[in-house]
Amino acid sequence: MKHLKQTIRLLVHNVFHPHDIFRIFGKGRYASLKIRIVLIDVLLSIVPLFIVITISYFWFQKILKDDFDKQLQWEIQNTKQTIEFFVDKKISALKLTASSYTYEQMSDTKMLTEIFNNFKREYGGLVDFGVIDSTGIQRSYSGPYNLAGKDYSEQDWFHEVIIRSFYVSDVFMGYRKIPHFAIAVKTEPTGKGTFWILRATINVETLQKYVNPVNQRPNDDIFIINREGILQTPSKFHGGVLEKYTTNMTIPREEVVTQELQKNGDDCKICGLAAIQHTPWVLATVIRSTPYARIPSIFRNELFFITMGSILLGIVFTTVMANTVVNRIKLSDEEREKAVGQSEHASKMASIGRLAAGVAHEINNPLAIINEKAGLMKDILEVSGSTPDNKEKFLALISGIAESVNRCRTITHRLLGFSRRMEISQDAIDMNDAVQEVIGFLEKEILYRNIKLELNLQENLPKIMTDKGQVQQVFLNIINNALDALKENGYISVTTYTKDDTSIGVAIKDNGSGIPKENLKHIFEPFYSTKEKGKGTGLGLSISYGIVQKLGGTILVESELNKGTTFSVELPLKLEGA
Amino acid sequence: MAHTKVLLVDDEKEFASALAERLQLRNYDVQAAANALEALGIVHSFRPDVVLLDLRIPGMDGIETLKAIKKFDSTIEVIMLTGHGDVQSVENGMKNGAFEYIMKPVDISELTVKINKAWQKKQVSR
Amino acid sequence: MDAQYENELRNLQMRFIGKIIAGFTHEIKNYIAIINESTGLIGDMMKVGKSVENDLPAYLDIIHSIEDHIEKTNGHFRYLNRFAHRMDSPLSSFHINESLEELIALLKRFANQKRIVFKQDYDTDKPTVYSNPAILQLIIFTFLEQNIMELEQESTITLQTTVTDQSVRVTIIPNGKRIEGSSVSIPSELLDIVIKELGGNISQDREKETIILLPLRPL
Repeated sequence: MKHLKQTIRLLVHNVFHPHDIFRIFGKGRYASLKIRIVLIDVLLSIVPLFIVITISYFWFQKILKDDFDKQLQWEIQNTKQTIEFFVDKKISALKLTASSYTYEQMSDTKMLTEIFNNFKREYGGLVDFGVIDSTGIQRSYSGPYNLAGKDYSEQDWFHEVIIRSFYVSDVFMGYRKIPHFAIAVKTEPTGKGTFWILRATINVETLQKYVNPVNQRPNDDIFIINREGILQTPSKFHGGVLEKYTTNMTIPREEVVTQELQKNGDDCKICGLAAIQHTPWVLATVIRSTPYARIPSIFRNELFFITMGSILLGIVFTTVMANTVVNRIKLSDEEREKAVGQSEHASKMASIGRLAAGVAHEINNPLAIINEKAGLMKDILEVSGSTPDNKEKFLALISGIAESVNRCRTITHRLLGFSRRMEISQDAIDMNDAVQEVIGFLEKEILYRNIKLELNLQENLPKIMTDKGQVQQVFLNIINNALDALKENGYISVTTYTKDDTSIGVAIKDNGSGIPKENLKHIFEPFYSTKEKGKGTGLGLSISYGIVQKLGGTILVESELNKGTTFSVELPLKLEGA
Repeated sequence: MAHTKVLLVDDEKEFASALAERLQLRNYDVQAAANALEALGIVHSFRPDVVLLDLRIPGMDGIETLKAIKKFDSTIEVIMLTGHGDVQSVENGMKNGAFEYIMKPVDISELTVKINKAWQKKQVSR
Repeated sequence: MDAQYENELRNLQMRFIGKIIAGFTHEIKNYIAIINESTGLIGDMMKVGKSVENDLPAYLDIIHSIEDHIEKTNGHFRYLNRFAHRMDSPLSSFHINESLEELIALLKRFANQKRIVFKQDYDTDKPTVYSNPAILQLIIFTFLEQNIMELEQESTITLQTTVTDQSVRVTIIPNGKRIEGSSVSIPSELLDIVIKELGGNISQDREKETIILLPLRPL
């Protein structure tokens, strides 16, 4: 848990700090920090914004859709019930009529016609009346067709009527090509043990009245189909009567079913099917005008611009803020660095003063000793001249002086060391960069001589406080020597590595002629050169050696004849006492 | 005149012995001490006229030694031996009764002049 | 002064001090070596049996040389001490002539390498300024170094101080042929900023005669 907290703290610190990590597009530390802040802020505001918008969108849509659905269901239910009512009313009326007269009366065509006319007067839209006996033969008929004596015993509807005691038919094309449907009712006069059927054909037009409400929406289509999908009433968009209405919906037996059919773009069709009881019909409602389909466009247009506007505004403000704040940070960082630099410098100066004073102080005594002893020698010479005793004494005095001289030397040596450290400028140097710069100078030469160059630069090499220019001088010198040893072809490899906690190293290896063992101990001597006369001053390596020493490091060399040479320059990360 | 008695207080033995010998060649009666304790002891027994005191001796602080000497016998004159950067100690010493100071490395003729002046002062203050 | 200039100035100062101390140390080493050799020589002479009666002057000469060099060493340390203490505070009242004198003493060694001679021509009025002694020495050193490096062997450089009513004028007058094509770069921008901060001015003419003006009265 603690580990997690630490990691989080570290991550937060790194993200909101002008670090060298998390650099963006190679921009400076502070620019990167500004960008990071703006990005994070924008992200943190956009993400919830989008989540909210998305949720709102779908939520809104669902609510409206649910609402609409309910509305639709209610409307369909309404229409269905109306139609059912109409049908039931007709059935009841027919039943009543049938039970009001005897079979004999109804079988009489003249009588039937009279009854039919009365009925027609009350309930418009009727086409014919027919009475069918229990064997399925039409006994009497009043209407435009010639159906007397027709045998219906084989027909499905006949059997249905017998079972259910009423029957409503599908729509069929009838007289004068006008669509009709038929209702048949069974009458069982009490005591007779037999039955007869009264059948009426009705104009679909009467049905239509109930199907198309006055205030129907223009894009909506309400019509009746049968269980096989054949249109029973004309539809606006889906065909005329007795045409097939195709749908992949399952036509329900009993309930109301709604389904969203398709969505092409803004066009959303909802289809509702409601089984109309006591009939073979299904009420179909195809709705095109769905108000909730407008939502995407609202969201897309108005909301989009508002959102974009706010985001843009947000970005602008965040950028301004980030800019101001980070600039402040940068300024205060710079001021702090400046102050630190000043105090570091001041303390350096103070330590110089102290060192010089200390050395001057220390040198007093040995100097005084030398002085006294020399003075004593003078005194002795002047006073007593040379006697056997004095010789001893003199030699003693002389060795005493020599001792003090050594003391002086040690003291001044410290001063020298100090001065050397001061002559080097100290900066945090990336040795990999320094090496690559030097290689840059020599690239052409290396290519020209067809020498293979191999760089093994350790990643995350710690930076070291040293003088870049002088270090590069050393590398230049060594690599030049390697080039000379190789003439053409061959390879040079440069490797940077961490030697230990306090130092790093750079190894320059070549597979050239190598240095014979006896020469190895002399190569760092000034003016030692194995090159032909006139070529090479022999100063390079000795100067390099001096530079590296001054920087607190060492140069090591390994070589084998005809195998190659490796020079290793090792430098401390920090100079002691600087 | 009787030989002027000089006590040389300095912890650098090489320096002290050489200087002592030189002074002796110049007819001074010289004794040497390497630290404050020794010095005070010799002051008691030897009763020097002039004390050459190096301010950086170990043990008691040079100034403290100076004060102790002056307390013991205020007629004893003290000449401070100093090095670079001892300015403050010198000032301090002068405030505490030192007669003079001389810088190391010492110019022997300058030193003898100062010792004689000190001795003369001592005669006067008797 | 912005951070970059400050940094550059510090580097310059470090380099300057390093150079001075290095030169100083080498000089002292020389003196000590001479003392050592001389002492050894006496020993040798004694061992060989050169009698004092005959060779007293020789002995005395050598001892005199030893004492001489002790004095030189001591004197040089006094200069170093003064030089080191110039850095104690960024602003103080000090004698210009003195500070120049010690600078010259500490630079003699470098000049000697080309047998260039320093001449000092100081106003007897002993001008005192209230300024930054260490930085002033750095500035003067920069121009002295330039001349030492550009002049041919055995030339002369004169350091002059003149008091006018409101200021002190330090003039560096080189005298001698300049090495062909030599041109030592000077951080003139930085030095201008520095001297202006001290209320003064630097000017250099074609012959590389350099004039540094400092106000007598504190800023």
